[in-house]
Amino acid sequence: MLEDSPPPPPYRPNRRAVLGGLLGAAGALALSGCGSLGGKPRVREWNLFGGGDGARLLEIHKQYVAEHPNVQFEAHTLAWGPPFYTKLAMSAAGGRAPEVATLHLSRLKGFSPTTLLDPIPVDLLNEAGINESDFLPASWNRAMVDGKLYAVPLDTHPFVLYYNTDICKKAGLLGPDGKIKPVKGVDAFVDMLKAAKDVTGKYGASIETTNPWRMWWTLYGQLEGKFFNEDGTQLILDDAKALEALDLMAKLAADGLVPRSANYPALVAQFSSGDVGLSFNGEWEVTTYQTAKMPFSMAPFPVVYDVPKYAGDAHTFVLPHQANRSKDDTKATIEYIAWMLKHSAEWAAGGHIPAYQPVVTSQEYLDLKPQAEYRSVAPDVFFDPDAWFSGSGAQLQNEAGAAFSGVFSGQSTPKAALAQFKAATQTLLDTPSPV
Amino acid sequence: MTVQTPPRVTPGTPATAAKPETGKPWKERWAGLFFVAPFLLLFAVFLAWPTVYGLWNSFFNTSLAGVKQEFLGLQNWREMFNDPAVWSSLKNTLVFTAMSTPPLVIIALVMALLANRRGVLGWLLRFSYFAPFVLPATVVTLIWVWIYQPGFGLVNGLLTAGGFAEIDWLNTDNRAMLAVVITTVWWTVGFNFLLYLAALQGIPAQVYEAADIDGANGRQKLFRITLPLLSRTTGLIVVLQLVASLKIFDQIYLMTNGGPNYATRPIIQYIYQNGFTNYRIGYASAISYMFFAIIVIVAVLQFKLFAGRKEADA
Amino acid sequence: MRTTWTFPKVASIVGAVILAVIWLVPLLWALDTSLKPEPETTLSPITWLPQAPTTEAYRSVVEQGDLIRWFMNSSVVSILVTALTLVVSVLAAYGFSRTSFPGRRVLFGLIIAGILVPPQVLIVPLFQEMTGLGLVDTYWGIVLPQVVAPVMVFVLKKFFDGISRDYEDAARVDGATRWRIVWSVMVPMSRPILVAVGIFTFIGAWNNFLWPFIVTTDPSMMTIPVGLANVQGSYGLRYAQIMASAVLGGLPLLIVYALFQRHVVRGVGDAGIKG
Repeated sequence: MLEDSPPPPPYRPNRRAVLGGLLGAAGALALSGCGSLGGKPRVREWNLFGGGDGARLLEIHKQYVAEHPNVQFEAHTLAWGPPFYTKLAMSAAGGRAPEVATLHLSRLKGFSPTTLLDPIPVDLLNEAGINESDFLPASWNRAMVDGKLYAVPLDTHPFVLYYNTDICKKAGLLGPDGKIKPVKGVDAFVDMLKAAKDVTGKYGASIETTNPWRMWWTLYGQLEGKFFNEDGTQLILDDAKALEALDLMAKLAADGLVPRSANYPALVAQFSSGDVGLSFNGEWEVTTYQTAKMPFSMAPFPVVYDVPKYAGDAHTFVLPHQANRSKDDTKATIEYIAWMLKHSAEWAAGGHIPAYQPVVTSQEYLDLKPQAEYRSVAPDVFFDPDAWFSGSGAQLQNEAGAAFSGVFSGQSTPKAALAQFKAATQTLLDTPSPV
Repeated sequence: MTVQTPPRVTPGTPATAAKPETGKPWKERWAGLFFVAPFLLLFAVFLAWPTVYGLWNSFFNTSLAGVKQEFLGLQNWREMFNDPAVWSSLKNTLVFTAMSTPPLVIIALVMALLANRRGVLGWLLRFSYFAPFVLPATVVTLIWVWIYQPGFGLVNGLLTAGGFAEIDWLNTDNRAMLAVVITTVWWTVGFNFLLYLAALQGIPAQVYEAADIDGANGRQKLFRITLPLLSRTTGLIVVLQLVASLKIFDQIYLMTNGGPNYATRPIIQYIYQNGFTNYRIGYASAISYMFFAIIVIVAVLQFKLFAGRKEADA
Repeated sequence: MRTTWTFPKVASIVGAVILAVIWLVPLLWALDTSLKPEPETTLSPITWLPQAPTTEAYRSVVEQGDLIRWFMNSSVVSILVTALTLVVSVLAAYGFSRTSFPGRRVLFGLIIAGILVPPQVLIVPLFQEMTGLGLVDTYWGIVLPQVVAPVMVFVLKKFFDGISRDYEDAARVDGATRWRIVWSVMVPMSRPILVAVGIFTFIGAWNNFLWPFIVTTDPSMMTIPVGLANVQGSYGLRYAQIMASAVLGGLPLLIVYALFQRHVVRGVGDAGIKG
């Protein structure tokens, strides 16, 4: 290619000017990228509400913005789970984190609160009208690390049962009051799915087979299974109980009562399109199905085994670590959190059970349907094991998803899946904690 | 993209500036440094330093959370060699490379042979074949995840319409990697196609005219002239493709997130997970270095092989 | 030249067209889905063409606003990366090709060695470095590491080596400084190759996923590929919206490519990639 170099061009001294201009233009654009509005306090909120609760939050935020013209507010929903938590941790490590973010209570200790979060200024919280007495002691205490408050509880979210009222009526699953008849025990549970499947012709229930942690943890919890020993250093999983839960999951898939493979969007789509009559999921898709004008209601997840336990977690607000936290921004942020808590009846309309007790006891909340059908289970919510690698969207759940999804798809036996999960958990236990 | 041609010198001209310029004044001696300084500065700060820093970190338990940092010696390295996930993700990386390279070379060649024509049809063909290459990974994967969607995706829609059973492409062990490879071929084959096309267009017309005079038919021209003349390009494309495929991350992270059951997780995703998701910067650095070594070995081996073959050609 | 329609000729055209159609189908399917109302996207059996075409999905996606912001970020980043890479590499290539200074050979050898360092293995230390420099979530943090392209210096130096010194000497007789020679002699003479590497640098920067993915956490600083992958702007049933954002995210470079196809295709040849 070198042989045919072009002839020497005439002098073009304006090259440099052109180039300079280009760089200048790019520089100007770059500068305009980080402008911020004058003296207004800024509140940037990151959340992970990718379901119907996210749509609800959008509406609540609209109201917040309308009522707070003096706050520069910006909210973003990041992809749920590891992507969200990884981005949040990296932003806190980078020092330019948002003013406030949501965080699962189960993730608090493993997130390294002392370095990646800033403590909540309780005095500001009190000034904004929120006090310790507004929460159940259990949830407030879980938000404390080393004697400091690092999170403000927003809600609790159990694993529940959604049912399509039309389909369930045809299947004879509804009682005279139009509500689903409570079932108890494995056989009744399987029969319920069979009845629904007979009506839909496809499946009985939809479930997220690619991340079946909540299903398994619910069943294992109902069997009163234990996970770690007291000080969290040893895995004391009860193989027989763990297997019993996995066997049931395998059976559901093998009998075609649930899909062999479905990711989260598929779980939602299958329930809304009527391919299934039931859906096992967290209670946060209320808004989605209401928007789709579906005939549906909700109930506690059946007590398949011995005791009522429902996998779940709680959302909280935290202040990710900022290198230079501004006093004004922090004040506005705490006021935002307080405002959100006081408006958590609207949040509850999206499915979650509020943590802020004045709302929980309010008539507005008590009248909410179908929320009234399942809120009684709040005390029986079964939190994830306590470890730095555990919690919603954390490594332990991922390992369970990797191992247990094969039980649904048939690519793995319950025994093999359990062995894989136990080995992975042991490896995590043996890994020195990075927090 | 340059390994193939050693610096050539235009005959008759002293091309390089290796003339001794010792007796010159200080200013003139160092003037050259002024030209290379901006690049060198960036090179030092954003390439050389992190390379060294990464090695340094691999001997510590550095955490993203910044809580503590203790010297570990070779502990990270020992852990790495005993970590089955390192080896399985390395295996996935190699499987992806082995599965994706042949179609990425062969289909590119076929495309180039088919699209080497003028006019509107040529333009349209070149547009269709190369268009996916200009799309960002996220756009590509959003489209393909939707295409593979069970229930109402395009591929499964076609399968069920044809009376076949559905396949959950991205959640089935032995299908997920295939699905990723198909997407990758669709997305990136265009670049290799252009390399072949450029090479084809570089073959002088006289070669074919001479063959015509000898009465060669189309097939003979293809197998006796075109393909042999493309062999050096093929070598180059294979080299580039192997190294590119080894660095796989984007598509897999976005399509399967390494699943199902880690069956597609490549080594770079394992580095990302350890370093950022699980805060283990030190351990991730050790794995990065091992992978770095593999890339260097592959590149050097290929270069040697390739240089050797070229000399044999000449 | 007269065309005789032999069987192989016809077959090759048919084959070429079939292949082209296969390559276009995914794009058309994305477009097709994006024009459907959401409930129609999850019908089974699937519908081929939208029964009630609507641009609703596009309206929702644009109203969320982030896409426009990301488009701006992608533009700024890609322009900066391309311009800086070209300037810095041209200067360095000239320096190594035409001047001599102490340590020149060693430094050039070091840069060649740098070609072997895959950017992917540097993500961890580079992120830490960016944390230290306070460049996480900034344009410079996204741009600067992408500007270091040793392979570009190598290609350009090789090219400059092949340019006869006569032109330069003539300019020097006219009193041009080295600096001026770079911009008024070397650059114009290397225009085809600079256009080619410029185009590919631009495409590469626009589509770069891994590094912007690592160094941006703030959604308002993300580029199109990173934002589309990490930020969710809609909820519930949203396949049509996802496809609409994919179409919009892919469109800018598709248009650029359609307009400059000639340069792109020729550029590959000119860039010395040709064997």
